[in-house]
Amino acid sequence: MTVRDRDDLEALAGAHALGVLDDAEMEEAERLMARDRGFAGQVNGWRERLAPLDATAAPMTPPAALWQRIDASVRAGQTAAAPRRAAAARASWMSGVWERIEFWRWSAAAGAMAALAMVVLTGAMLNRWPSQPVMVAVLTVDGGKPGAVVESFADGTVRLIPLQDIAVPQGRALQVWTLRSRQEGPISVGLMDRAQTLRLDLGRLPAPSAEQLFEITLEPESGSPTGRPTGPVLMKGLTSSTL
Amino acid sequence: VIGAKAARARPGNPAARPGDDFDYDRALLACANGDNAAFRALYDREAAKMLGVAMRLLKRQSLAEDAVHDAFVNIWNKAASFDPDAGSARGWIYTILRNRALNMLRGESRLDHQETFETLASMVADDDPEAIVSGLSDASALRRCLDGLDPQRRSVLVLAYVHGLTHGELAGRLGVPLGTMKSWIRRALLSLKECMG
Repeated sequence: MTVRDRDDLEALAGAHALGVLDDAEMEEAERLMARDRGFAGQVNGWRERLAPLDATAAPMTPPAALWQRIDASVRAGQTAAAPRRAAAARASWMSGVWERIEFWRWSAAAGAMAALAMVVLTGAMLNRWPSQPVMVAVLTVDGGKPGAVVESFADGTVRLIPLQDIAVPQGRALQVWTLRSRQEGPISVGLMDRAQTLRLDLGRLPAPSAEQLFEITLEPESGSPTGRPTGPVLMKGLTSSTL
Repeated sequence: VIGAKAARARPGNPAARPGDDFDYDRALLACANGDNAAFRALYDREAAKMLGVAMRLLKRQSLAEDAVHDAFVNIWNKAASFDPDAGSARGWIYTILRNRALNMLRGESRLDHQETFETLASMVADDDPEAIVSGLSDASALRRCLDGLDPQRRSVLVLAYVHGLTHGELAGRLGVPLGTMKSWIRRALLSLKECMG
């Protein structure tokens, strides 16, 4: 790197404590700290200066299981790596896939086609629905399989029909969300203790439009404590207009 | 909300925490000596606040819990290496937590993570930097000096810290060139240093 003046070092120390450096810059700051006690002192000075911002985060009571996990790790003399891997493995079947956007885009399209066909076919064969939905969202699970369908009817009724069972642990619930825009954020439209047909409560929201996201997350029994999704995403999908 | 009230109610320098007799130095020393009860007491004292900090950075409870888990395991394993001359014990604990959470944020899933539903949601929910600043004690030097900054620079510093955003991400979110963002942050930091000493 280039030769730095005093302000450069001070700003680098501050930026490191602030957390804005990219990977390469962060590594460089760490190297500098290791060989230059003065610079390490500057970084620590910044950490102390900025620390009061941490006190503005609303505390969250951890579940009892967190201490048990920490205690077990410490007693086993483990480093952080092993339980991390276990946790990652536990979460990955659901959340890992969902965090790969490319996969999601592809599977959403494929899943939507498959399940849309199924919904239309079933509806036509049984001929027992009062009307055809104007909007359908197919929520897909791991592997792109359809997990549920959200249907929106012209009279404003919106319902969710599960297409496969979901294992819900004791004390947890399934919460249904919709996202209309990034500015507004996700809004809870339903809560259930097991996969079941559910009339969704869109409250004062207008009827779903095309490309509106619906998803189901695993949440505490009484719903997300924050009013926003906190648990793993079990399935999600975008609405499409019916023909 | 409770945390913000507590922070506001705390007079003077938050690091001094008047009326608070918990001895973090002693807790770390006890951990270094293998004292499980002291470790548990430290957990009972800090875990909820640490989970709140991790949640603001990582947005997902499972990830935030992983960060707090890893931080406590590190605290236990590295307590003996804590150097009281280099900074406060409480600061050391939060540095371990923040470093772990930032490393998780900077991990392989970072780009994808930025796009997830939850991330977008929580950014909307707790994105108001002015509310965060007003959660700082009125008497704190950080509050006074942040208040003295241009509002946009203040927002950028606060958002960067509480969400763990990089220069590049901040530039993207605010729609300014990377070089501009770097120079804003540099100038804001240097002003803050001059003000806080």
